[in-house]
Amino acid sequence: MGTEKIKENRRKFFKSSVALLGGTLLYSLLKPFELIAQNKEGAVKEDKANDTLWGMGVDIETCIGCGKCAEACKVENNVPKEPFYFRTWVEQYTVKNNGKVKIESPNGGIGGLKQSVPDKDIFKSFMVPKLCNHCTNAPCVQACPVGATFISPDGVVLVDATYCIGCSYCIQACPYGARFMNPVTKVADKCTFCYHRITKGLKPACVEVCPTNARIFGNLRDRKSNLVKFLQKKQTEVLKPHLNTHPKVFYNGLSSEVK
Amino acid sequence: MPKVIFRLFSTFVVFVGVFILIQQYLKPDSFGKYGHYRANAINDAKLIPLQYKGEKECITCHQDIYDLKYSDLHDAVSCESCHIPKILATDACKTNPPKVEGSNEFCGQCHAINAGRLKKGPPQLDFKDHYEKQNCIDCHNSHAPWELKK
Ligand code: HEC
Ligand code: HEC
Ligand code: HEC
Repeated sequence: MGTEKIKENRRKFFKSSVALLGGTLLYSLLKPFELIAQNKEGAVKEDKANDTLWGMGVDIETCIGCGKCAEACKVENNVPKEPFYFRTWVEQYTVKNNGKVKIESPNGGIGGLKQSVPDKDIFKSFMVPKLCNHCTNAPCVQACPVGATFISPDGVVLVDATYCIGCSYCIQACPYGARFMNPVTKVADKCTFCYHRITKGLKPACVEVCPTNARIFGNLRDRKSNLVKFLQKKQTEVLKPHLNTHPKVFYNGLSSEVK
Repeated sequence: MPKVIFRLFSTFVVFVGVFILIQQYLKPDSFGKYGHYRANAINDAKLIPLQYKGEKECITCHQDIYDLKYSDLHDAVSCESCHIPKILATDACKTNPPKVEGSNEFCGQCHAINAGRLKKGPPQLDFKDHYEKQNCIDCHNSHAPWELKK
């Protein structure tokens, strides 16, 4: 075998491998175009979704801390019953006469919150329902390494349970502590504004059961919605505004003690 | 073209090609339609079955209780606030009714005195002063609380 023969073989080998690569490259170059063609339909749908942007108002002045919302959330969304998995919960803040603040939330408020501080020591006391704030600049979405958590076109932060790898980064990233690791599915879990309800025209379960209308749910882009009325009537604030997360949950009567 | 450049260039092309190929196979179907996520996950989130079906569902059998409730001060309290649906209870309400016991503990969820509650809404009672030893529903009708039994 001479060097000529080797060269010829090598040339053949290169030719065929380049042809193979070229073929696969061409195929994969075509695939994105397929996606672009699909995107046109998607874009139309997105426009439709663009006139809904879900949000929630929470009225601390009327919340009585009965815990019905936390209970309903667990039932509706099949959240484990153990007292440390909550998509929404109610905290009782008690400011004592000596200036100390006590925050308690036994079992997330389910079964009704009870005051543990004697009356004579209390300066003021109030209930704060908490849930995912559905931030417009969601830190959890930025932290997710695989794109399993995302903001839907109508503004709800959702978790893709089939795609989540359970790394818990989002749980650490959330400044509101609104996420947890679901011990059954082993993926991150959080409030979805009851996405399966709101897309059918119903209210989220927590809003549905609230006896005092302390939670107001609605479309932020609909000028006639109860939520927009609530925002216009009351002076509302968001939690931790300095973090620039732009939450879509608005609190009326928020005290500076609330963290 | 020098040999070295050709080799470098072809290795580069091979790497990019293999990368794109693998990516196409591993990427889920609807990924990237709206953003850096699987667009079908939005539909998955809609598929959870409803547990709380609303008062409309209760009325089909209990119109009388509904009317009674609306005639009194518990009108703002939804049936399912007190009667928590068992799993899919409203489908099988007759066989598996979402029963509640009218105990002091139960009414106290909303009516027990608490410093954080002294505001508008349901009146708060110190149960020690309000017929301590008796069950609330011995006197109050749970659906129409001012319909006193005695
Ligand atoms: C404030 C809480 C509360 C609300 C709201 C409420 N219930 Fe009840 N319900 C009770 C309690 C407590 C009992 C058990 C004690 C009793 O019989 O009074 C009960 C018992 C019942 C019973 C069985 C006893 C009977 O009277 O036949 C039915 C049926 C019922 N409720 C239906 C409804 C329906 C329908 C609604 C909504 C229109 C509703 N309830 C709303 C608390 C409530
Ligand atoms: C889910 C919370 C909830 C539960 C549980 C509940 N209530 Fe009420 N109750 C309310 C609300 C809300 C009102 C309306 C207050 C208002 O509009 O002034 C109310 C009003 C009342 C009133 C009339 C008070 C007034 O203003 O004159 C009575 C009496 C009463 N409830 C008794 C009961 C009894 C007895 C039970 C137990 C069977 C019970 N409640 C359970 C939420 C609740
Ligand atoms: C012995 C019968 C009896 C029992 C038991 C009873 N109540 Fe009453 N309740 C009354 C009567 C009578 C009134 C109206 C007069 C009054 O305020 O005392 C009343 C008034 C109320 C009011 C309205 C108070 C206000 O200021 O407007 C509430 C709320 C209430 N009851 C809740 C309860 C709850 C909750 C329980 C169970 C822990 C309960 N009651 C047990 C007889 C009873």
